[in-house]
Amino acid sequence: MTTSPSRIGPVTWCGIIVGTCLLLFLFQKILWLVVPFLLALLLYYLLAPLSNRLVLAGWSTNLAATLLSGAFLLVVVGALLLIYPRVIANADEWQSTVMRYLEGGARVIEAVLHEMQQNFSFLRKGNLSVELREKTLGYAEQFSDKHLGGVIFIVVAWLPSLILAPIIAYFLLKDGGKLRKLIGETVPNAYFEKTLYLMHALDQTARQYFVGMFKLTVIDAVFLVFGLWILGAPSPLTLGLIAAVLGWIPFIGPIIGCVLAVMVTATDFPGQISLVYAVVGLFALLRVLDDFIFMPFVIGKTMSIHPLLTVLMFFVGEAIAGVAGLMLVIPILGIVMVMGETLEIIFRDTRLKARYAYARQLHQRAANADLELRER
Amino acid sequence: MLRSLIGKFESPQLATLRSISLFSEIASGELRTILGLLHHRTYLKDEVIFDEGEEGQAIYFILRGKVLICRQGEPVEGMIAELGVGQCFGEMALLDSAPRMAQVRATEACSLDVLFRDDFLRLIQTHSHIASKLSLELARMMGERLRQTVNSFVL
Repeated sequence: MTTSPSRIGPVTWCGIIVGTCLLLFLFQKILWLVVPFLLALLLYYLLAPLSNRLVLAGWSTNLAATLLSGAFLLVVVGALLLIYPRVIANADEWQSTVMRYLEGGARVIEAVLHEMQQNFSFLRKGNLSVELREKTLGYAEQFSDKHLGGVIFIVVAWLPSLILAPIIAYFLLKDGGKLRKLIGETVPNAYFEKTLYLMHALDQTARQYFVGMFKLTVIDAVFLVFGLWILGAPSPLTLGLIAAVLGWIPFIGPIIGCVLAVMVTATDFPGQISLVYAVVGLFALLRVLDDFIFMPFVIGKTMSIHPLLTVLMFFVGEAIAGVAGLMLVIPILGIVMVMGETLEIIFRDTRLKARYAYARQLHQRAANADLELRER
Repeated sequence: MLRSLIGKFESPQLATLRSISLFSEIASGELRTILGLLHHRTYLKDEVIFDEGEEGQAIYFILRGKVLICRQGEPVEGMIAELGVGQCFGEMALLDSAPRMAQVRATEACSLDVLFRDDFLRLIQTHSHIASKLSLELARMMGERLRQTVNSFVL
């Protein structure tokens, strides 16, 4: 009769993992909709406290939602209008810059390998440093012809769906309450309170994750910008911001961020290999701080997923949906876990099932009240 | 007089909500905010609304019909109270998530409005003046029920 203690059984765990994999597979197919929706969720959780403040100041919910989403949309469109002409005007220069930085990166690899060959005899046999440098330079030469067009095309193709994010966020801010009422109405009386609790728990989990990740990005950005600036690395603001945002992609993101910073540093300060090592050290230090201090402190224990399961799910996510799978697997697993836990409580509660069956009988009887056959 | 005049122009939904004693002191505009948070439920005669020992998540307001508050599974011997239109039950759930103290059943076909604890807590953040009025009325009602209980033991 009473609520069972919160505990996930093995069958539910299997269901949670299978459910997460199925959702990832499905989401991969409709990524054009999932990404703006996730961005909208992030935006919704960031704007909700501001919206609450406006409502508290006497504004209506609709007006607050319109003002905040409209302001964000204006900022995005304004930024795009500002950036677009510069991108087009400097396209040629950008191509040569990319090549220059790739060459700089190749020089660092060559220098490091050369140093290693001096110290380790087995590396001397193969001409690894020259081979690697040639391959990197070959890639750099072909990059603008083969890949740059594709990258620009992907960015342009994604822009319209990204503009969807503030529009979805507007409707979440405006009609979030109505949506919850609508879902509540579809649930039978016996399961009503448990469903309300489930919706609340899902909301809390998603809020903690998205707001936590945003805070983590800000902390990472501040750390990197100041760190790079103190080290004397070039463009600390741009590099720090890009690397912090790339941190949203687990494993690969921080590595790409670090490689970018190394390439730029090596190109702008040729011959200063110690500065390159210091930049790598800064990124390694950030990784340690993120994993052991910032992440547990900021995101907390809401996503209390075992580390081994987290790593396994990263591999599963990558296998199913690539980079998108890496990014989505943990929030999806967290949400499916809350759902699985609550649904297990509901389905194991025999009293709730009995109450539901009893209510159905009452409804049946009420519907048949004047339809009984009478003897002629 | 002004209140009765305003009452004439209120929507039927708001007028029904005003019949609940807890909302009697709340202005129309504020009541509209509360209405946006309430979930509407209907129950048939004899249907169980919640059980004793269940974790409480919400307070219920009776818009139509009657409910019986009793010990679990003892509607006759364990009867505690019968409540009708304008009254509410399950109010302890707004304060904490302690188990329900009694079972509640519909003794007539009922229409109820439900306020979830999380929505009430959000109301405290966004509309503190409405939440404080509601809390004051809730405290008055609980005081009155406590007084009645004490009197029933003394007399």
